[in-house]
Amino acid sequence: MREHIQGAVQFVSNNRLKFDRPAQPIEALPDPGQTFGYVNKEVPQPSPKEVLAKLETPEIKERCADLLSRYPVGQGALLEVLWLVQGVFGWVPREGIRWAAKVCGCAPAHALGVATFYTMYNHAPKGKFLLQFCRNISCTIKGAPALIAHVEKSLNIKTGETTPDGLFTLLQVECLGSCGNGPMMLVNDDFATDVENDQLVMKPGTTLTEESIARILKWCYAHEDNVPKHDVLGGIVKGHGGHPGAPGATAKPQVADYAPPSPVLNVKAEADENGATLTWKGAPEFTKIVVEKKNGSKWDVVGEPGVKDKAFVDAAGKVGDVYRMIATSGERTAKPSNEAVTTQKPAPVEEAK
Amino acid sequence: MAECVKVCTQNFGKGAQDIEVYKKLGGYANISERLFNMSQFELIDYVQRSNLRGRGGAGFPTGMKWSFVPRNSGKPVYIVVNADEGEGGTFKDHFLMLEDPHRLIEGLIIAAWALGSRAAYIYCRGEFLPCIESINKALNQAYAAGYLGENIMGTKFCFDIFVHRGAGAYICGEETALINSLEGQKGQPRLKPPFPAVSGAWKSPTCVNNVETIMALPWILQHDPSEYAKMGTPRAGGTKVFCISGDVKNPGVYEAPLGTPMMTMINEYAGGVVGGKLKAVLPGGSSCAPLTAEEAAVATMDYECLASMKTMFGSGAMIVINDTHNMVDLLNCLGNFYSHESCGQCTPCREGTGLLHRMLNLIVEGKGHDGDVELMQSLCGGFGGVTICPLSISLGGPVSSYTAKFRADFDEYIAKNPDHAKPRVQETYRPGIFW
Repeated sequence: MREHIQGAVQFVSNNRLKFDRPAQPIEALPDPGQTFGYVNKEVPQPSPKEVLAKLETPEIKERCADLLSRYPVGQGALLEVLWLVQGVFGWVPREGIRWAAKVCGCAPAHALGVATFYTMYNHAPKGKFLLQFCRNISCTIKGAPALIAHVEKSLNIKTGETTPDGLFTLLQVECLGSCGNGPMMLVNDDFATDVENDQLVMKPGTTLTEESIARILKWCYAHEDNVPKHDVLGGIVKGHGGHPGAPGATAKPQVADYAPPSPVLNVKAEADENGATLTWKGAPEFTKIVVEKKNGSKWDVVGEPGVKDKAFVDAAGKVGDVYRMIATSGERTAKPSNEAVTTQKPAPVEEAK
Repeated sequence: MAECVKVCTQNFGKGAQDIEVYKKLGGYANISERLFNMSQFELIDYVQRSNLRGRGGAGFPTGMKWSFVPRNSGKPVYIVVNADEGEGGTFKDHFLMLEDPHRLIEGLIIAAWALGSRAAYIYCRGEFLPCIESINKALNQAYAAGYLGENIMGTKFCFDIFVHRGAGAYICGEETALINSLEGQKGQPRLKPPFPAVSGAWKSPTCVNNVETIMALPWILQHDPSEYAKMGTPRAGGTKVFCISGDVKNPGVYEAPLGTPMMTMINEYAGGVVGGKLKAVLPGGSSCAPLTAEEAAVATMDYECLASMKTMFGSGAMIVINDTHNMVDLLNCLGNFYSHESCGQCTPCREGTGLLHRMLNLIVEGKGHDGDVELMQSLCGGFGGVTICPLSISLGGPVSSYTAKFRADFDEYIAKNPDHAKPRVQETYRPGIFW
């Protein structure tokens, strides 16, 4: 049995070694179209050299480093890196998927699985303007099927096809999250119901009509040569410190000397002939708790009650003494609790029977 | 229409995307000594007293959800904002993020303090690029102003927010699928337990909250929790952002207290039904059972009333349908949608939604047969409790309720087939000819 396990480990690690093999010259790589996943033969895949030349630029490297710093494991950034690839090509070629896998440190097959699971990654080149029409329930109520038929007729293509001039691709998609303006369409990344001041707009209370679609298509023809583009990830956020302690999810959540507020609440102290009795409220989230007593400007440790205790008695305590409590959870010590001034315990009132 | 307190939508149309405007409108007032002197338990108790329930659809009490998150596990606690809004009829998060991104950031800082969190992720669906741009711009401003990053307001408390762009999968709105997608995997739901509160993203405690839930926090902290609880029903406090779409005069996003009568929402907020008489209302997004006009007349928009009418409150997305529509056409839309969005993990959902979708297509094409409706109903009976996530029930529920409440529509379509009384030829069910 032991040999079997050792053999299995050896087998896995052998494969691992193969997987981590040094980079081969690009010319030596097999044709991606022939070897990597199911590939539609009608979609010509760019050569690895072409793909890598476009992807391995300083800007993209910088963005990838920024993305990778956000997640405890590199694989977390896979979706975002695939978006970067789509931003460069307008679609994700197979070699781009392989590159994304390398950047994120995961298996190429995994990246291919992810890239084909999500519907927004295009696996074939699209037209310059990707028109996505919503066909979900709210838009159907407001007449989306008739509108889509109208667009199909005016562009002379069917859903899923690209016009021969390579300008428009028409798609039907599920809910776009703007049902109040339904029927709704996306032109590339913009929600559009009309054109205003030479820009696509979606205003509350407006909706797509045959006339406004004509205006939008006219706008598209006018911007044929310089298609307005958005950053695929909506811009760069500066100033964040990255994921704390990446890689590895067991990193400390906060800086070492950060002290959270005290989890011990409402400390009260009452004195009687047996000394001062402390009571408090608090969730059982701490691992150690210390009672301190004020002595001039210093605080003396008086005792350490159990974590599950409900009260603590300081035999030397008397009226006027000031107490506070400090809780520790793991390696982190919280701020001190409120300072409680000892009061005289009221005499028990005997109820009249 | 009584003027109600606006909790989440108060800054709409005021240009609050800019931090200066937002601060002038009273924003970031909570990020002060008062918050940073509050202990986590006080803050969670505060939210629990406000009776705030999750606004994403399931309606789980937010304070209780937070109290489940373990704090001394030695692992970081993640907050994940669910902005993967994909349910038909729901569009509130879209406009909330577009109009008031700073409120989301302020709410997240409050949530981070309550949970002792170091990093939060906003999982935004891929189609909402304008929202992501709006949030990123706000994040840049918040980092520059010192509300985020290291040593927030001199407290040594550190907190970062990252935006994660999804890529178009409805199922990622389910919290465990969302976590899988955040980890760079296929968005397929995970088995529960372990619940995300204990073992979520990267096996660390993770709290997944809806955008609207987080955006209600600044108001609750500024005012008293009892004031928030007072606005709603006894079991669910506060106001809700309703999205009204379909055959109404003014579709859009409206904020109203929970427990507002449904007809008030339709007639006074949305300007009434247009194009015909009211036929049905879907009160909580596309996956809930419809209410007929008679039921809608007595319904109120809150969790308990709608649950007692065997439908659900969901995300508060009302879809109003007038009598010019045939319910079969609309159900066919849902069949398309859910069979397309099934992640393919569980057989009953993958095959069942596909089968329902094909049968509905046949009925719409005029190839329906007698007994089809009964067959669909029997299929829906097999969905409950056999799949990891409730996506199959989201189609099964509507199919059984549409067929029960609007049977005449189905019979009308089936009668269009001249051979409807003959038994169905078996080949039409074979998956191969459709896939």
